[in-house]
Formats: sequence, C-alpha cells, structure tokens
Amino acid sequence: MTGFAQGLLDALLQDAHLIVPQLFLITVATLMLWPGDLFVSRTEKHRWASVTLVVLGVTAWLVARVDNGLGFGRMFQMDGLTRGFQLLCILGAAGAVALSQRVLNGLKQQTVEYYALILFSLAGMLFLCGASDLISVYFSLELMAISIYILVAYLRDWKTSVEAGLKYFLLGAFSSGILVYGISLLYGAAGGTTTNLADLGQALALVPKADSLLVFGGVLMVLVGMSFKVAAVPFHMWSPDAYEGAPTPITAFMATAPKAAALAAFLRVFGTGFHSLFTIWVLPLSYIAAASMILGNVAAVRQVSMKRLLAYSSIAHVGYMLLGVLSADPVAGAQAVWLYMAIYVVMNFGAFAVVIYLQGQGEGERIEDFRGLGRKHPVLGFAMMIFLLSLAGIPPLLGFFGKFYLFKLAIEQGHVTLTVIALLTSAISAYYYLGVVAQMYFKEPTEGEAPALGGLPAFIVGVACFLILVGTAFGPWLLDWAGKVALG
Amino acid sequence: MFTANTTLMLVATFLPFLGALVLLLVPKGQRKVFEYGSLAVMIVSFLLSVPFWFGYDRASDAVQWFHAWTWIPSLGVKFAVGMDGISLLLWLLTTFIGPIAIACSFSAIQERHKEYYLWMLVLQTAMLGVFITQDMFLFYLFWEVMLVPMYFLIAIWGGPQRLYAAIKLFLYTLAGSVLMLVAILAIYFLQHKTTGVYDFSLASFQAMAPIIAQQSKTFQILMALAFFIGFAIKVPMFPFHTWLPDAHVQAPTAGSVILAAILLKMGTYGFVRFLLPILPGATKELMPYFLTLALIGIIYGALVAMIQKDMKKLVAYSSVSHLGMCMLGLFALNPYGIKGGLLQMINHGISTSGLFLAVGIVYERRHTRMIADFGGLSKSMPVYATIFMIMTMSSLGLPLLNGFIGEGVILMGAFQAFPWAAVVATLGIILGAAYLLWMYQRVMFGPITPVNEKMEDLNLREVLYFAPLVIVAFWIGMYPKPIMDVMDAPVRKLVTQVNPDFYKAESLAAQQAAAARVGMRGMEAPEAQETPLAMTHGGGH
Repeated sequence: MTGFAQGLLDALLQDAHLIVPQLFLITVATLMLWPGDLFVSRTEKHRWASVTLVVLGVTAWLVARVDNGLGFGRMFQMDGLTRGFQLLCILGAAGAVALSQRVLNGLKQQTVEYYALILFSLAGMLFLCGASDLISVYFSLELMAISIYILVAYLRDWKTSVEAGLKYFLLGAFSSGILVYGISLLYGAAGGTTTNLADLGQALALVPKADSLLVFGGVLMVLVGMSFKVAAVPFHMWSPDAYEGAPTPITAFMATAPKAAALAAFLRVFGTGFHSLFTIWVLPLSYIAAASMILGNVAAVRQVSMKRLLAYSSIAHVGYMLLGVLSADPVAGAQAVWLYMAIYVVMNFGAFAVVIYLQGQGEGERIEDFRGLGRKHPVLGFAMMIFLLSLAGIPPLLGFFGKFYLFKLAIEQGHVTLTVIALLTSAISAYYYLGVVAQMYFKEPTEGEAPALGGLPAFIVGVACFLILVGTAFGPWLLDWAGKVALG
Repeated sequence: MFTANTTLMLVATFLPFLGALVLLLVPKGQRKVFEYGSLAVMIVSFLLSVPFWFGYDRASDAVQWFHAWTWIPSLGVKFAVGMDGISLLLWLLTTFIGPIAIACSFSAIQERHKEYYLWMLVLQTAMLGVFITQDMFLFYLFWEVMLVPMYFLIAIWGGPQRLYAAIKLFLYTLAGSVLMLVAILAIYFLQHKTTGVYDFSLASFQAMAPIIAQQSKTFQILMALAFFIGFAIKVPMFPFHTWLPDAHVQAPTAGSVILAAILLKMGTYGFVRFLLPILPGATKELMPYFLTLALIGIIYGALVAMIQKDMKKLVAYSSVSHLGMCMLGLFALNPYGIKGGLLQMINHGISTSGLFLAVGIVYERRHTRMIADFGGLSKSMPVYATIFMIMTMSSLGLPLLNGFIGEGVILMGAFQAFPWAAVVATLGIILGAAYLLWMYQRVMFGPITPVNEKMEDLNLREVLYFAPLVIVAFWIGMYPKPIMDVMDAPVRKLVTQVNPDFYKAESLAAQQAAAARVGMRGMEAPEAQETPLAMTHGGGH
C-alpha cells in the first residue's frame, strides 16, 4: 500500500513542474485567506490589490518558464496554445484587479476574499487552458466557474448582484450537468476505457454505425455544455443578466479571462481532440456560431444599458471566434482565435475602464450616461471612440486586423456563408457602437467638471488605445506571436 | 525643385494628416489658427501635387512612381503605392477640391472648429490614399477609414436629421464594402491555389482575370456582384442611392462638396480599377442588368430632381442622374465610353461642387434652401448669379463648358456599344437641362422679396474659392485634350483587359475601310458585326 502511495506521489511530483503556476496561485491565495488576512487591518484591505498584482506578475513569469510537456496521466498538456491562452487569462485577471480599485473603494467592499477568488478562478482557467482529458476539462471548468459565481454575487447587499449570481449559478450548474452527461456517453461509446481527448478521438472514429447515435448525442452534449460556458447562442441567456448584475470589474473579467480559457478548451476539445469527428460537430457548431453572431449583434442594438450592450457584443464576438474553431486546420484556427482573443481583451478592458470611470462619477451605466463625454473629457472620449470603432472592426484599428485574419481563415476553410453572415452582422454592430459614439460627441454634456481618470485606469486606457491605434502597422509581429502560440 | 517621385507623392498624400496632428496641439479656442492652418496645409498639398501633372509620362500605361514596401510578408500585404493616369486625375481632383472645401467652411462652421478642421484633414488623407494605393489590403483600409471622418462631419455639423443621415451613410457603405472584402479574399485564395503565393497587390489581382474566367460561372457572377454592390452603393447607382439625398441634404456645405466631388468617385473608380479589369467576363455577363440600373438612375434621378423644392436635394438627385451617366460611359467598355465616363467624373466633381457651394452661399445668408423662398436674386446678387449660371450650364452640358465634352464623349461611346441606351441617356440630358434651368429661373428671376433684396453679394473669399472651379470648367470645356491625353494609355490598357474584341473589331473595320477606299471590288471585304466606321481610339486627338 505504501509502495502504491509512494509511486503515486513520485508520479505527481514528476509532472508537478507543468503546473507550477497553478500551484503557486493556489498556495498564495490560500495563504492570503489565512493567515495573511489576519495581519491586515480592516481599513488596509486595499493593499491586497497590490499583492495580487505582484502575484499575477510572478504567475505570468512562471507560465513563460514552464517547459512543454504532457503529464498527470495525459490529463494536462503544456504547449504553445496553453501558454498563449494562459497569458491572456492572467492579463484579464490583472486588468480586472486594476479596474476594481475605484469601485471597491467607493463601495467600501475591499476584502481579501475578492482577490483570493480571482486567483482561484484564474488557477482553474490555467488548468482549463491545458486540459487534455474530458475529466480535467470538467474539473478545471468547475474550479473556474464556482469562483466566478461567487464573484458575480460579490456585492451581497445588492439585489441585482445576488440575482445575477444565482442565475448564473443555476444555469451554470445545469450546463455542467449536460457536459458531464455528454462525457459519460462518449466514455461509454468509446468502450469505457478512456476520457483522454486524443484516445477518445481515435476510439470514437472507430465506433460501429449502430452506436453512432451515442457518439452524436455525446458530442452534441459536450458542445452544448461548452457553449454555455462561452455564452454562445442559444445558450447565452445567463450572460446579459450576469454581466449587468456583477460588479463592473468582474464583468470585464468575465468577458475576457474565462472566455479565453473556455475557447482554449474549445480549440483543444473540438479542434484537436475530436478532429476525427469533424463531420459530426461542424454543422451544429456552425449554427451556434451563426446564431451567436446574428442574435448577439441584433439584440445589442436595442440595449440601453452599456453593460448589457457589451454583453451582447461579447456574444457576437464569441460567434466570430467560433469561426476559428470551425477551421478544419486546427493550427491555423488556434492562431486566428488567439490573435482575436488577445485583441479582444485589449479592446474590452479599454472600454470597461471608461465605463467604470463613468460609474465612479455617480453616473449609471446607461448608454445615455456617455452623452457629451467626447467634449467634457476629450482624451477619454477619443479613447472610447477608438475602442468602439475597433470593436466594430473599422480599419486600420487593431480590431479590424483580428477580424480580417479570422475571416480570411474562415473563407480559406470554405465557410463562405458564415463569413458573409459575420461581415454583415459586424456592419450591424457598427450601428450600436456608433450609437455610443453619437452620445459622446453629438449630445450636450452634463453639467460639472470632469475629474481626472486616476492612475491605473488611465494607464490601461492609454496603453490599450495606443496598441489599438498602431497595432495593425505591426501586423507581422502579431502574426509571429500567434504562430508561436499555435505551433509552440 | 520638386520633381514628381514616390516620396513627394506620399508627402502630398499624408501632409493633411500630419497637419491634423500638429493642429491637435493647438488649444481649442484658436479659431483662426485652425481655419488658416488647415487651408495652408491643403494648399501646400495641392501645390505639391501639381508636379505630377507635368511629370506624368503620357505615353506609358504603367503605374508610375510605383514603390512597394514590405509590410506583412506572411499575408502578402505590401505598402504599395503608385498612380496611373486614371488615379492621377482623381488624385489631383482631390487635392484641388481640398482647399476649396476648407475655404467655404470659414463662415459656415460656427462651433467646434478644432474638431471640424481636424476631421477634414484626416478625411483628405484617407481619400488621397485610396487613389495612390496599389495593394488591395491597403485599398480596403483607406476605403473604410474614410467613412469615420465623413460620419463625424455630417453628424456634428449637419442639419436637423444629421444623425440619421450619418449612420445611414456609414452602414450602407460598410455593408457594401464588407461584401467586397469577401470577394477580395475569395480571389486572394484562388490566386494562392493556382499560383501558390499569397499576394494582395493590385497587379496580381488584375493578372488573375484569365484564371477567374476559367472558374464556374456562379463563382464569377457572385464575385462580380459582391464588387458591384460595394461600388454601386458608393457611386450610388439606383437602387442603392437612398443614402445619398439624406447625406447630401444633412451634410454641411463642405461635406456635400467632398461627398459629391470625391467620395462618389470612389465608387466609379472602383469599377474602373477593380470590377472591370478583374472580372471582365462576369461584368459582360451582367451588363444588361448593370446598364438597366444605370439608365434607370439617369432618368429616375432627373425626374426626382425635377420635383424637389429644396435646392440641395435637387442637386443631390442630379448627382444620381449624372453618376448614372458616368456609369453608362464606363459600361460601354470602349475607349470613348470609358474616357467620357472618367472625364464626366471630373466634370461632376467640378460642377456639382460648384452647385453645392452656391446653395451653401444662400443657405448661410438666409438659413433656408427652399426654392420657393427665393426669386429675383440676380438683382441683389449679380456676381453670384453669374457664377451660379456658369455652374448650372456646366452641369447641364452647355457647349464651351466641361459638361458638354464629358456627356458628348460618353454618348459617342454608348452609341457605339448600345445605341438604344444612348437614346435613353439623351433624354436624361434633356431632363437635366429642364430641372436645372427651372431651378435657376425660380431662384434668380421673377419678383424679389424685401428679404432677398437685402442679401449681400459674394465677398472676396467666396469669389476666390469659386474662381478655380470656373476656370477649370472653361478649360475642360474648351481644351480637354491634356486631360484626355493623361487617360489615353491607361484606358487603352483597360479596354484591352476588359474588352479585347474591341481592338480586333476596330482593326477589322480599318481593313474594311481601307479595302473600300482602294476599291478592290473583286475582293470580299472582311465581315464584321456592328463595327462603327472610322471610330478610332483616342478621342480628343
């Protein structure tokens, strides 16, 4: 017995180097909760933000240093794809922490749990990016999601926040159930021997025709479960409510980091793992992508809340990115999706930084509250305009470059109808993004002086705006990085 | 001192943008700095563009001052620039209209000066960029980026319905251009499949024409339609024209001027540069439909213009009609037609700008554009009446003025290709004379009201910005040869690309004529169908 335990421990330690960043995150987050928090007085809790930022920096450094490899009974794979998406998740978390300060200080809601939960969910994301087994996909998805459920309901005195958290939790649990059921079907169909993606892909391709319904059902359920997590239509219903109810920095977090992780999983499960089953999932996923692009963009047109608008727009952006997952060439798909996601993270944080700034001004989060921003605060208004135009994909901004690269791939892969839908719906998206621009520039500003933006958010806005403005000129470098992610 | 070369071309193109960056640093209140600063930038940019007129090698049909810098090698994207005669003319038209558009804004723009002049300068660079680019990716970039300043110009400084008009312009054009992007990408991949390289350069796209011709008919038709819709919205051709009256009526005067003079030309330029040479087969296949739409545009635009009560709307609809005329010329696919179409693009830029400026003048003084509110203006504003008269005559095609040459050459080309269409188009010209003269009569003659009696005539600034337009209108009207010469070689190349049969038929006709002259009755003259006699290439020689 001890021999077995010893063997197991050796095996675990042998692969531990693959998950050093995750181990570091979990250890630090646990220590922050206890005993770390005992040493910080009630009024000093905001110091945890700086600690978290340092931790995130160290994590990013660790991620960059982890060697490629496959470990833990082939449950976790470290490669370029993992590393690339892990870095995006860390960037998302860092952005959320930086943007949280004004909101949390204003509400006097600084606690260590907030930061610890972000770190825990980030650990889940880092696992998810590299999960190469359906079981590890499921576990990491849950670790990520459960922490975020709590973060959504973090403002526990606010009815909307709690409602959003509950809604997200219930639907999330439901979708996890579907995912697990799908996994079990596939497990059974493949002969009950493996849940490893590579093995499963091979085994399922050989399943006799009589059992093909089982495979089809299983694949479909996994697809549905994962579509819930990225909020693709028709499994998106939770997202506008969760976006609206959550504290705004958490909304920014949800729109970026978990999406990046879930898309990495999407790429690994469908692009690589189930590549042999391409013919089964290509049609359902095409419909999901098309529905997301259409519904996301059309529904966004009618929103009055900026957070809901961004929620629907993020549904649409996921629809675009699913085009990359649909690529029959998984390497090219991963490259395009990563590039788009990286750009999307930058644009989104820029936009959310401005939304949070306005909230700090006692304005609500309605689109109307942007009125006159371009005149009252020209620099900020200009930056917001750049973010919005970039989200709409207007050249020469970076958002256009991401879209161009993604749509180019989609056409190359023969998804012409989907690409036409994508392009026409992105023309629709220009309508609502410009609606916000119109508020900023063509409406009279509200009375009163505009206070300064403040350190960290100003930094985020400035860097994001600069990157978006000049990014396209540095297209070759971007493509190089994306190529490293896909191939490394 | 300044010789025409690639560097100077880029300087002239990007100078307005650089000017905008410098003016960005000037504090908001300095109205005069923005006005005269941007005017100076535009004038310098124009002066820098003048050497290209003289430096252009008229004998060559090659892209001149060409240079390509590597940009994104893995995608085959290059920063490739250069001009042939066709782009040169439109590029010069843009630098020429630029200072006029600024000068006419001094009194019209009464708020948010800084933003206004900055957007005007950015718009100028974007438009100039479209005409010099020799790379499809870069072209698409400039083509789209142009929309943003135009959106702001209309949406901030426009009329009461400005937001609606601006977003309509934006969405219409965007929807058209994304379809075009799909077509560009499809050809790009087809090229990769057949030649193994990724290349966005315009030359390589044009070289794809024979390979595209071997593809399935559906593919060709879809490609042609995607390009067609993208450009037809911009031109705009019937039935894609509905954004135009809104945009024109709501835009500030300078916006209308630029819209009419340059932006609409992007659409026709797109036809000449992309649709015709890249997809000649499908274009000819779809020609009956294209032609019908052009003719409907000519007649419909004229009829709708006739019933307008608002002067600006009248001029806007006259644009629909005139641009239909340009398209008719281009679709004739012979040298006369295409040259006429191109010349008419320039002419429309001159005369319609003039008309919009003229409408702007009375609008600034009376804050109304309703024809019914005016009458007898020739008594109180004689100089204005004269200039308005010249612009009207230029627009309706009176001999000695530019419009006559353009329309005449188009009709010659159209008659060669499809005589019945030329007849219909002539009707459009007659209608054009009717609505323009009728408007002129109602505004300028008749009894004068006391309010109109007090209206001031043109001041020096206004005369100065009209003067170049008047001079050019007369110049083209009396001596169009220099302009025809510039487009001679490129048009010949284009016709060879799109309609190679034309020159074969032409040489056949020449033989026939020669045979007839020599009087070799015993020999059969070679057969040729519908070949016009003595219609040689190179109009205006």
